[in-house]
Order: sequence, then C-alpha cells, then structure tokens
Amino acid sequence: MVSIIKSIALQGLDGVLVKIEVDISSGLPAWEIIGLPDVSVKEAKERVRTAIKNCGIELLSRKYVINLSPANIKKIGSVFDLAIAAGVLTSIGIIYEGSRLKDTILIGELSLEGRVEPVNGVLPMCIEALRFGIRRVIVPKKNEKEAACVSGIEVIGVSDLKELVNYLNGKMQVEPIPTSSYGARKNGTLYSIDYSEVKGQAGTKRALEIAVARKS
Amino acid sequence: MMAKRIVTILPDLSFEEALEVTKIYSIIGKNEAQGIMRTRPFRNPHHTISAVSMAGGGAFPKPGEVSLAHHGVLFLDELPEFKHSSLEVLRGPMEDRKVSISRVQANLTYPCNFMLVASMNPCPCGYFGDKERECKCTPSQIQNYKNRVSGPLLDRIDLHIEVPNVKFKSFENTKEELSCKIKERVEKARKIQQERYAEYGIYTNSELTPKLMEEFCVLSSSSKSILEKYFQKNKLSARSYSKILKIARTIADLEGSENIKDKHILEAIRYRFMDKR
Repeated sequence: MVSIIKSIALQGLDGVLVKIEVDISSGLPAWEIIGLPDVSVKEAKERVRTAIKNCGIELLSRKYVINLSPANIKKIGSVFDLAIAAGVLTSIGIIYEGSRLKDTILIGELSLEGRVEPVNGVLPMCIEALRFGIRRVIVPKKNEKEAACVSGIEVIGVSDLKELVNYLNGKMQVEPIPTSSYGARKNGTLYSIDYSEVKGQAGTKRALEIAVARKS
Repeated sequence: MMAKRIVTILPDLSFEEALEVTKIYSIIGKNEAQGIMRTRPFRNPHHTISAVSMAGGGAFPKPGEVSLAHHGVLFLDELPEFKHSSLEVLRGPMEDRKVSISRVQANLTYPCNFMLVASMNPCPCGYFGDKERECKCTPSQIQNYKNRVSGPLLDRIDLHIEVPNVKFKSFENTKEELSCKIKERVEKARKIQQERYAEYGIYTNSELTPKLMEEFCVLSSSSKSILEKYFQKNKLSARSYSKILKIARTIADLEGSENIKDKHILEAIRYRFMDKR
C-alpha cells in the first residue's frame, strides 16, 4: 500500500508542497529514497529506521521505497524525517487513522532515540503552507512558538515519535498552540542602547536624523 | 557607536516587515527567541567579508549580509579596507532592494531593503584635515586610499559627513537627547511625506521621481542662485543636484516647513562634501 504524507520544501523564501510517498513491497530488503534528495535527505533513512526501532516498533525486512514528489526539485535538509517516518508507520499500519493527516504537513528532524528535533525555516514554511490550503502543521516542540506567529493555521508541537503516533491515531489530544499576537508594543524601548549615551557629535546626529527621515 | 544606534531612531517595524525579517533569520536558524523579531537588524560585517557572503550564495543559496540587514542597517566600518568585489556587489541590490542569486541547484531571490552606513578615515594615518595633529601621508597615498571606494558606489550614498573629534567639554554634558525624542521627529517628518505623496504611490522623499521633484521641490529665486553657484563651482553631477534637492526637502519636512528655504538648501549642500574631491 502506498501512503502519502505532505511536507514542505523551501526554495529561498518560497515554499513547494512535497508529497512523500512510501511503498513497501516484498523483495530484497532495502531502503530507497528517490526524488532528487540531497545527502542530508538520503541520511534520513538511517535516522528514521533507528528512531522507529527505538520506539519499540518492529520493522520487517522488506523493500521500502520513499519518493519525494515533485521529483524535479532538489530537496535538502532534515525537515522531511518526521514525514518519512509517518509515511512508513502508515504503510505498516501503526498509524491507522488518516483523518488528522488531512490538510496537514509534517516538519521535523528525528534523533536516533525518536525525539523530534528543531529545524530551520519553520516560519516561512508555515506561511507558505497557508498558501497551499494547509490547515494544520505538526512541528517540533521547540519550533512551535515560531510556527504560532502565523494566524489561520493550527500548530501542533510534538516532542517524540510516540507522541506523533498517539496524536494521529486519536489516542492523545494535543492542544494547538494559540497564535501569538503582535499587537502594540509594551511601554519602554526595544533597544538597550540609546543616543543619549553618545556625548557631543550634534552634527553627526543631525545628519543621521535626516538620513533616517527620508528613507523608506 | 553612533551607527549602531541608528536602529533606535527608525520607526518601529510593522507586522508585515517584522515577519519578513523573521523569515530570513528563521531560514539560517538565527531566530533564537523563536517569536517574531521586533527589533530592526544591525549588521556590521568585518571588512574581510567575501562578495558571496555579502550578497548571499552557496551551493544552495543562503541569504547574505544585505538580506540579513533587510529593514535595518548595514554598517561597513573602514570602507576602503573592504575588497573591491564585496563592495561592487552592493550596487544592484541597493537600487532593486532585492537580490537574485543563481546557482546550479536553484535560482533564488531574497529581499534586501537596507540602509547603508559606512565610515572611513580621511587618509591612511587618520589625521588629514585634523586641526590639532599633523597628517604624515603623502598626497598620492591619500588619493590612493580614497580611490579604493569607487565613484559609482559613492554616488549612491546620499549624505556624507565629517565626524570631528569629541571635545573634552562634551564629556561633562550629561543632558544628551534621548533616541525616542529624535524618533518622534523622524516619525512626524515621515508622516508629512506620506500624506503629501499619498496619491502618487510613494512614501518618502528618497523615492521622488524627477517629475515629482519639479512639483514638490520648488526653490525660491535666492535658493536657486545659491545652488547654481555651488553647482558650477564644484562641477556637480545631475545625480548630486537631485540629491541635494531631496535632502533639502527632508530638512524642510523635519522642520514642518512647507517650502524649501535658503537655510535648508545651505544645510543640504554641507552633506555632499565628497562631491568636491
């Protein structure tokens, strides 16, 4: 059975929705990641396999084919670990509930123990995800605050693979992180430095004031 | 010390601007606080920086210093010490406010709307033009030093100032103006500009087109003759001329004056002293 999980790849500040397809078939035992993966993505198979094993889930010796589509874009980084793991676990029936995977993307790196580690670029990924009609993002616990800067998307922070499985199977409730509001700034200044610390130099300060007043 | 404090007199970031800044820092994993960044970035790369790290690059292009200074200040200390190539890459991004980087793996564009601030010594020993100490450099040394900064780049810098030595007396002065007071004046001046240009689709004086300048930078006959004399004496370029007008317009706005007066023109001329060399 082919299972499909969504994640997102960044091209600069623009995002591309990536579908992670996992297929398990009989044949010589092997793990193949295809779809123009970078070395860091290829290494994901070792992290994912070990993380799953260390969560107490037994993986049978089969041929695992993981395709990252669209296959014409280079994928870099460790952000797909979580989605690949979810795809494998869905294929072998450990994750049996698909409802929470609908309109959801998964972002995160896995450690060998099965912990979900933070990654770079979570904020632009969430902003771009919204553009693709995604309603929920599952991110590493340590990145949830950054993801919650985006309004209109449900942010679920997970700290390990077991938590992800339980959440997706509906056995555990994870409260979405409330969107952090920008709002008006609290009183006081943002900076710890101030022009009053600079003695004299009235002419220079004046020039800087003019420079700042005319720039967009 | 003074350049670092420019961010304290810039208006606060709007939500959209803050989001743009945070996005860039998120990609490189430098958004340590994890929330939205409210402070404007201040970047001061060392002068050994390469052109690639200035503009952005790598096998899979990462944002460079120009993009990390987006909506903030890019400060280049000791400008002539920078590599020629690292300075020349600034020219395009300064005009376009975005930088496109092409590599085998990807073609990316990052925003880079920054304010460039640079400092340099008047000569290699640093005392040329000093009233108290003697400069030991030869004229050719001084010329070589100045020539390390290319004309086109200098042309894009709007205001030039000479920073004098601090007098001992000023150390005793404890009542220096607070940043928030300066910021108030800046915000007021910007509001005047915004309202004036509301129907023209621009926000500030720096964006004025030649046509709009004819309308909004009208000079009295006495101001005109001041500028004419200065222009002919120093053989200014057309670019310098329009810069003086825009600076004078800003000075008038800071004062809340509707018209550009003689004193505004006279002050604006002072900020173009590098044209004379």
